[in-house]
Amino acid sequence: MSDITRIYLIEDDRTILRFVESALRQRPQWRLVGYSDTFAHAEMMAPRSLADVFLVDLGLPDGRGEDILRLLAEVKPEAELLVFTVFGDESRLIRALQMGATGYVLKGCTEDELIAAIEQIREGGAPISPLLARMLLKQFRAIDSDATATKGPAPVLSERETDVLRLVAQGYVNKEIAQRLGIGVATVSTHIKNLYRKLAVRTRVQVVRAAQARGLL
Amino acid sequence: MSATTGQPPRPTADAAQGSVAWWVGLVFLLLLGALHWVSQPVPLPGVYRIAHAQASLPLDPHVPPRAIALPHVLDDESPAWRERVDYQLEWPEGLAYASPEGTRLALLLPRVGTRFRVLLNGHEVFQFGWYAPRDRTVLAASQPHLVALPSALLASDARDNVLRVEVQGRFLERSGLSAVQLGDHDALMQRHRVLMLWQSTGSWIMAALSFFVGGLALFLWRALRERLFILIALAALAHAMRTVLLAVVEPPLSHEMVFFWHRVMFAAFVGFFILTVEHLFGHRLRWVRVGAWLAIAATPLWIIWALWTQDYDYVRLWAGALTVFAALALLAGVVDVARRRAYDDNQRLVTLAALFTLATGVRDFLVVQLNFPGDGDLRWMSVGGAALILTMGWVLVERATAWARTVHRLNETLSQTVSVRENELRAAFMQLQAAERQRAVEAERQRLMRDMHDGLGSQLVQTLNLVRNPSAQLDREALASMLRQALDELRLTLDSFEPMEGDLPAILGTLRRRLAPALEGVGIELRWEVQEVAPLEQLDARGVLHLFRCLQEIFANVVKHAKARRITVSTWQRDDQVILSIEDDGVGLPPPEVRNSTGRGLRNVLTRAAKIGASVRFYDAHPGTGIEFAFAVHARPAEVDTDWLQPSA
Repeated sequence: MSDITRIYLIEDDRTILRFVESALRQRPQWRLVGYSDTFAHAEMMAPRSLADVFLVDLGLPDGRGEDILRLLAEVKPEAELLVFTVFGDESRLIRALQMGATGYVLKGCTEDELIAAIEQIREGGAPISPLLARMLLKQFRAIDSDATATKGPAPVLSERETDVLRLVAQGYVNKEIAQRLGIGVATVSTHIKNLYRKLAVRTRVQVVRAAQARGLL
Repeated sequence: MSATTGQPPRPTADAAQGSVAWWVGLVFLLLLGALHWVSQPVPLPGVYRIAHAQASLPLDPHVPPRAIALPHVLDDESPAWRERVDYQLEWPEGLAYASPEGTRLALLLPRVGTRFRVLLNGHEVFQFGWYAPRDRTVLAASQPHLVALPSALLASDARDNVLRVEVQGRFLERSGLSAVQLGDHDALMQRHRVLMLWQSTGSWIMAALSFFVGGLALFLWRALRERLFILIALAALAHAMRTVLLAVVEPPLSHEMVFFWHRVMFAAFVGFFILTVEHLFGHRLRWVRVGAWLAIAATPLWIIWALWTQDYDYVRLWAGALTVFAALALLAGVVDVARRRAYDDNQRLVTLAALFTLATGVRDFLVVQLNFPGDGDLRWMSVGGAALILTMGWVLVERATAWARTVHRLNETLSQTVSVRENELRAAFMQLQAAERQRAVEAERQRLMRDMHDGLGSQLVQTLNLVRNPSAQLDREALASMLRQALDELRLTLDSFEPMEGDLPAILGTLRRRLAPALEGVGIELRWEVQEVAPLEQLDARGVLHLFRCLQEIFANVVKHAKARRITVSTWQRDDQVILSIEDDGVGLPPPEVRNSTGRGLRNVLTRAAKIGASVRFYDAHPGTGIEFAFAVHARPAEVDTDWLQPSA
């Protein structure tokens, strides 16, 4: 993995911008390559930037952060999309994940925590919470029955991924899960990240299907 | 309405319906004209009408033969003749032939009986029931008879022919001989066919029609129980029975029984018909009703009396009285309705049909009994009866469809009412739902307000005061920690809103995510021994917050007092209970003198646990202390719950 990490911030709160800039001083080789404080600006500029990590605020003054996520997930499939959220409330997060987010950071975290979150995601990890895991389990179970109903190919959970999700949902942290399943902590993270990608893919498949069903495609 | 009077609402008579009656009236008039035209006596070519005969009584030889006019009825002689009469017919002057050979002659007897035979020049050429046993009932008069005269038996000179009709009579049966026709066989055969059609086939058709209408009315009455229907049914069935008795040549009953039932059925027909008309005309003429029932009830006695006395005058009297009564009743009904101007279509039709039938009856009486001009062999009454029955059928159908329409309308009204009620109910239900939603929202709002007020609010106020205090030195670390606590507090509250569906491990996991960093900060390790357990209904948003507060309290206690290095959180299922235990490896249960300080917090835990239906047990964990929450798996949360509004210690 290259040491150089290019970061793009989409956030209307200037204090967050300063907080991020301050945090990045800890990592001289990291660069804040772009900054948008409106939806319109982000829509225009973000897809053209060469950033590896996008930090996206969901509550922009002139649009929905989820729409930016979807746009970026399509044009920059390799980029990491981190949602910047105040509360980390799962109901909102899961929508963001469906739109293509690969992780989230709580606003109000320390600079170290922000750096750690970016590093974690760059190393293939992903943050998750018990409730999020629970919701994911439900989502994929719904896909399962959906897929059998529509007979279309849809991403499904592997057995290991299911185990990981179940343990996360019971409140275990990655280290404990790794111990229990006899795998590395990094592997647990990778599983979780894969889950996010699958969820986003599945959402895209669903959207396409719905569009087809309505005769839009 | 119909429920109280047994009558369906009358169909509204409009102009179109009114004109129907006029059309029907016109049809009846045309029918009378057609009947008149058809039954005009038309001389047939080569046929002679014989209206005179020499009657002799073979059982009474010393009574000399006598010239009589045809039709001749034995009952009308005084004293009445009985048993046997021989009629010697005069050979018509004009009926001559060159040679008997090839001459095809026939004799047509429109009405003769009860039994008879025909002899030509002493040879029997035809007989009907002549040799049947005495006790057998034979009614030859029921139909016309055509007798072919064999040419071999004809005399060479036509005037030498002797034609005799021998008759066996019965009392009261109007036995005897009507005017006969003699002449060309083919012409008479045609005539015979016509008579058969009118008298025999026509009767059977009418009987079938009456049975049909009567049966239909009976079935309708059975279904709808309307008085009119049973009256029509009885009238039509009586008419059918009477017609059958008239048409059957050899009924399986004795003469007396046939006579009796014939008249009884006729009286029933007339009586029930009058009752029908009276009902149709508004059920207002009591004397007509009484008269009709009297006629029906008295006829059997009267007829028995007539049979007993064997005097046909009694029958005449009965028939006359019945006819007069029927005419009067009809007239009274018409006058009554006309006076009230309440004529409806059915009444007009029935009046017309009744008048028509009456007219046919009077005509038959005049022509047959009083020798008025006209073909007495063609009885109009059968056509009149058929018209009457058909009209009754029409009334029946009208009434039945009126019922059906009423039922249909009622159904429509009912379904309208039902749908109106349904809408009202739905609206009321929606209102209720909205109110319920409003109430729930209000309750949630209050809960949130209290929680914010006591938790987040007070925390922020503390922090603000710290920042404002000019004398205090601003400790950035402490400040950040306080704000962070406030944020965590807020997040915890928001967490309780997430849909966790009573999933205890997920709830504990969420709590862990919020509290673990603080515990780790003070050097306490969290051991997680959580297993999947059955969902707990009592852990809704409120229950989750109660549980959060309990665990916060317990953890805070451990941090403050237990001097522990590790906290173990475990869940499992025991029978129909879900167990949550929190154990520390600290100093164990505090000595009594310290308990008071922790007591308030632990009492709080007990209160909150009760609210979510959990029983709590403290135990010695060697070393350290354990607290065990036991949740009943299918327990409902306490109905009235306000204690969650209390702040955590």
